[in-house]
Amino acid sequence: MNTAMTILRKNFHLLLALAFVLAMPLTMQSGSLASEVLIYGLAAMGCNLLLGHTGLLSFGQGIFFGLGSYTIALTLTRWPLPMPLALALAVVAGAVGAALVGWVAIRQRGTYFVMLTLAFAQMFYFLAYSMPGLTGGDNGLMDIPRPSLAVGGFTLWPLVSPWQYYGFVAVVFLVAFWLLQKVSASVFGRTLLAVRDNEERAGAIGYDLRLLKLQAFVISGAVTGLAGALHAMMTGIAPLASAEYHTSEMILVMTVIGGTGNLLASLLGSAFYLIVGDWLSTLWPRWLLLLGVVLMVISLGMQRGLWGLFESAWNRLRGAKHPAKAQEGTPVGTGDKA
Amino acid sequence: MSTAPILLEAIGVEKRYDKFAALSGVDLKVRANTVHSVIGPNGAGKTTLFHMLTGTKAVSGGRIVFDGHDVTREPDHRRVQRGMARSFQVTSLFLTLPVRENLRLAAQGTAPAQALNCWSAPVGARSRADVVARVLARLGLERHADTPVGNLSHGQQRRLEVGMALAAGPKAIFLDEPTSGMGIDDLDDMKRLIQGLKDEHTVVLIEHNMNIVMDISDTVTVMQQGRVLAEGHPHAIRSDERVRSAYLGNMITGGKA
Repeated sequence: MNTAMTILRKNFHLLLALAFVLAMPLTMQSGSLASEVLIYGLAAMGCNLLLGHTGLLSFGQGIFFGLGSYTIALTLTRWPLPMPLALALAVVAGAVGAALVGWVAIRQRGTYFVMLTLAFAQMFYFLAYSMPGLTGGDNGLMDIPRPSLAVGGFTLWPLVSPWQYYGFVAVVFLVAFWLLQKVSASVFGRTLLAVRDNEERAGAIGYDLRLLKLQAFVISGAVTGLAGALHAMMTGIAPLASAEYHTSEMILVMTVIGGTGNLLASLLGSAFYLIVGDWLSTLWPRWLLLLGVVLMVISLGMQRGLWGLFESAWNRLRGAKHPAKAQEGTPVGTGDKA
Repeated sequence: MSTAPILLEAIGVEKRYDKFAALSGVDLKVRANTVHSVIGPNGAGKTTLFHMLTGTKAVSGGRIVFDGHDVTREPDHRRVQRGMARSFQVTSLFLTLPVRENLRLAAQGTAPAQALNCWSAPVGARSRADVVARVLARLGLERHADTPVGNLSHGQQRRLEVGMALAAGPKAIFLDEPTSGMGIDDLDDMKRLIQGLKDEHTVVLIEHNMNIVMDISDTVTVMQQGRVLAEGHPHAIRSDERVRSAYLGNMITGGKA
């Protein structure tokens, strides 16, 4: 009994994620929307690793997302590679892109760091735009196939219907989430929190800040590349829009809405953004205006995001018997600590 | 004077900010297992000298030799691996993390490659439990081990500031005004803490509180306008005419600068 409780507690977030993944097919109509929630959840977690854990506000996430999209589109349309291998290549592309962007951007802190990531985002967009041979330019890359998972001609897992694809995305998501949780709880993840809290001291006690930040970037880029690839496979196209600055912004907004305290919060942010957005857009085409209001509320008085809100509500429900323990995820100043 | 070997030597260290010379040729010899204090009025260049010695900022000229190695061009995090550790004049801690975690991070800093391990959690040997426990006991912060540092009192934070340097088990500890802003009650604790350090470490101390400096120092270096004005045993410094007439005056007899 006791060990069962320990296992439960140790994997609490993983179980919550599993519950979330299982609940979506039961409550939602659109398999595509559900897949999108998980895919952007992944991207937001990648962003969270930088923003919440390391204190880095990166506008470069769209680059890694776009790299993942283009890579899987190119590999699946031009080379007869097995799909899992193509996905792995997209992950590598995201990681390499992030290593490059990170390597330059982390030379600066604060505003200039943010500006450098923004500059990269703009450059990547115009690069993608001006290389139609590779990226399809304005049109993007179309007709990306979605091959089923097969071994030696025997289909293991057909990915034809949206819900079949959702199942595949869900498994990839849970594995990636488990791995990211592992990173977050590792020596590395804990050292990142120190960098976030106080760079000067982290350097003074012996850490090479650049190396730590670079590794955070690479992991973040890999996850975001994976998300980009899954998204391209879902929609069948790798549009220029996925390389646009707007993608970076969307990923950042999801991350902040969910809360930067822990990784699962990013899934919450993605779900809120996409599901509420989907619902609102049927009522009012200008729903993004309301999103602005939500963002203001969070920035002004709810800096731990939706996750923080739920956590406080939960603690209150339990009669405040267990006062909220010291949160690793206290609000992250956006500009100055970036 | 002590005849212990020289652990740290600064040779003609200079630091210029544009035209302003914060340090113009400072020589310093710090002997092992002593408390070596650097005093002087505000703006004399004490903290700048600290930044140069610990590598927080780069020198404009001169050399720094530590434990037989020329460390002049090494950044601060490399010098930590050589056995240097410092505290800050303005408390500089990981405020959202518990005291224990602050110390664990400081202890782990001597093996920074481990920090890139993104698979294993800091448990077992990686928790550095024995070092952390030893430092906690020395600081008298055992009861607060799991308190986020932001919730500690100022005096406790100042002690932890010293503890962060201690946790690395360094050869030399650089303490930049460890008593700044402390209440009278906490001063004696801090004095005892520093005094106890020199058995295992070499202490370089910047301090304004002359009672502490004169009581616990083996050597005192007096700085003025980016230069060394005088150096010697506390008694010699107290009675040094140049020092007295230059500016120490009442300061040396106990008043705070």
